[in-house]
Amino acid sequence: MAKSPLAVAILGCGRIADAHAELIRGLESSRLVAVCDLEPLMAKQLAVRFGVPNFYSDFSELLRIEKPDVIHITTPPDSHLALSLQAIAAGCHLFVEKPVALDYEQIRTIVGAAAQNGRKLTVGYINQFDPAAVEMRHLIADGAIGRPIHLESFYGYNLAGPFGTAIIREPDHWVRRLPGQLMQNVIDHLVNKVAEFIPDDEPLIEAFGYWNSEARLHDDLRAMIIGKEVSAYATFSSRIRPDAQMLRVYGTKNSLTVDYTARTVVLNSHPTFPSVLGRLVPPFSQAWRQFRSGTRNVRRFARSEFHYFQGMRTLLSSFYDSILLDKEPPLPYPELLRTAKIMDRIFGQVIGKQA
Amino acid sequence: MRALITGAGGFLGTHTVRRVLARTPEELRLLCRSRPVPLEELRARYPQTSIRTEKGNLLSSTDMERALDSVDTVFHLAAELKGAPAEMFLNTVVGSKRLLEACSHVRRIVLVSSFGVYGTAHLRRGAMVDELTPLDKQPERRDAYSFVKLHQELLFREYQQKLGYELIVLRPGVIYGPGNASLSTRIGVNFPGFFLHVGGSNLMPLTYVENCAEAIAVAGSQFAVDTVNVVDDDLITCREYLGRYKRTVGGYRSVPFPYSAAIGLSGAVEWYNRKSRGQLPAILTPYKAAVLWKGNRFRNDRLKSIGWKQLIPTCAALGKTFDWIARDKRTTVDD
Repeated sequence: MAKSPLAVAILGCGRIADAHAELIRGLESSRLVAVCDLEPLMAKQLAVRFGVPNFYSDFSELLRIEKPDVIHITTPPDSHLALSLQAIAAGCHLFVEKPVALDYEQIRTIVGAAAQNGRKLTVGYINQFDPAAVEMRHLIADGAIGRPIHLESFYGYNLAGPFGTAIIREPDHWVRRLPGQLMQNVIDHLVNKVAEFIPDDEPLIEAFGYWNSEARLHDDLRAMIIGKEVSAYATFSSRIRPDAQMLRVYGTKNSLTVDYTARTVVLNSHPTFPSVLGRLVPPFSQAWRQFRSGTRNVRRFARSEFHYFQGMRTLLSSFYDSILLDKEPPLPYPELLRTAKIMDRIFGQVIGKQA
Repeated sequence: MRALITGAGGFLGTHTVRRVLARTPEELRLLCRSRPVPLEELRARYPQTSIRTEKGNLLSSTDMERALDSVDTVFHLAAELKGAPAEMFLNTVVGSKRLLEACSHVRRIVLVSSFGVYGTAHLRRGAMVDELTPLDKQPERRDAYSFVKLHQELLFREYQQKLGYELIVLRPGVIYGPGNASLSTRIGVNFPGFFLHVGGSNLMPLTYVENCAEAIAVAGSQFAVDTVNVVDDDLITCREYLGRYKRTVGGYRSVPFPYSAAIGLSGAVEWYNRKSRGQLPAILTPYKAAVLWKGNRFRNDRLKSIGWKQLIPTCAALGKTFDWIARDKRTTVDD
């Protein structure tokens, strides 16, 4: 069994690798031993900026010399399948950035290889471990909303941001080569929240995409996902402002709203006061719940548990614990596979149709 | 001269194009990533030169080979000025590598670097910064732009050994002019509603955009020296710059903040960053504060020795800049 601190290496030294390096350095259960990129200058810059002892441009060499316990794969997704299988074959546990791979079949192959070789696998579904998401799960487990029966998942995206601008500017950007293009790089965060609640293997799916002729890609999506017990509406939008991230869970007793940007969870319950008082009091009780949600965040901040990438911090910490204590990884594999399958079916209905 | 200017559509690039054309090269190619440079007016004004734009990405070897075909002189201005550090590095340093890989036939390169490469944090207050000042040994402690520009310079020197081209590195100070409304961090830090003015009586290493462009054009035919700092004559202090800015542009509240307090504040920020394991970023550290606000003196003897003359006097240049910012601000408000 691996010993703490785990020896971790990062493969792929682009923008997102900075967040990984920062968080790996900040955890007691891990130490960043090496980084690797096909372009040696990129590997060197990450190593220098984060004080990493070694850098490589050859992944095989890194695996042979460093023998890391864990590999973080932060390369473009079309390389994930081959690199993941290589890392698993070398005995490494895997943290793979989303999107995990190009389609369901590739993801199934990676998950299967990890399970077969007794290696742990997790994916950068960081919103699922955001303080608000964790709090939501506690509330649901405590029966605060009864049985969930419907969800509304919203994910806003700013196409004018630095990454979006690069996609628009570069006609051969790797995001354009993904089967689901821009949506595939983003909507894991939209769909995985739904897949957590809809256990069906083959839910009914109706999806519609809006084509942006200037950017030459689909930049808005509406999808309906209907399971036997639970249904969901999923909205991805590059046009709606603010570009928030929200989840509304409707239950048989109450509903709750998770705001991932403000990191708040607010329970929407039935008015407890009779008559007109039932119309007068709710705004104040809502304000009180918002206030309490805010004060919980202040307490988290005071305890240094409110980092910008707090969800990823929690995910990493849980993942490393699962390796060190030989527990189940934080993201259940069936949930990863359901997310992948729903995404494939959405792309199948949207891509190629320039509505 | 058959020359290529990279970053030709940018703030400094558009001025550099005109200053280079004023020296009537045989051919001039303008490399732009996205915005093409309008050529009609340039062709009418400089009919002796064959001018054309090359749309291309520095990261594309194919684009670089096409753009550099039969070019003998390169003016390399293109750089990513903001964004994530890794992307700035990719687009500036790795992009430069792709350019250099296609430069085997190029005879001369003028590289526009930055004052940010100097290791000024360890200099005493008021020390002279010139071409002999040592480079920063830990640019990663400073800011992403300085880190990137220093690695870019090292790359050009490394390839010079391999390819044998003549190289002159220009290190401009703070480039200002119409088209750039930002206040340099050497003056202070912008907060919502007010500006923390730390620079005080420190001299600013200013260079007006047209004067800087002239230095680049002059450097295209002067390779007697390998490094030249670019600052104008008649430098003014941060306080004078800010005062004039406020008088012309208006609507700006600033709070004076002494250097010693800035060091204390940045020490606290760095301490909290470490204690909280990065919950708040270390946007200020004593190292960064020393680089920005300790205060140095600057000279341009070497720049003058290669034949540079200041085209626009500092007083007039400041007037043009602040008038533009005031107009731009009014237009933005009207919109």
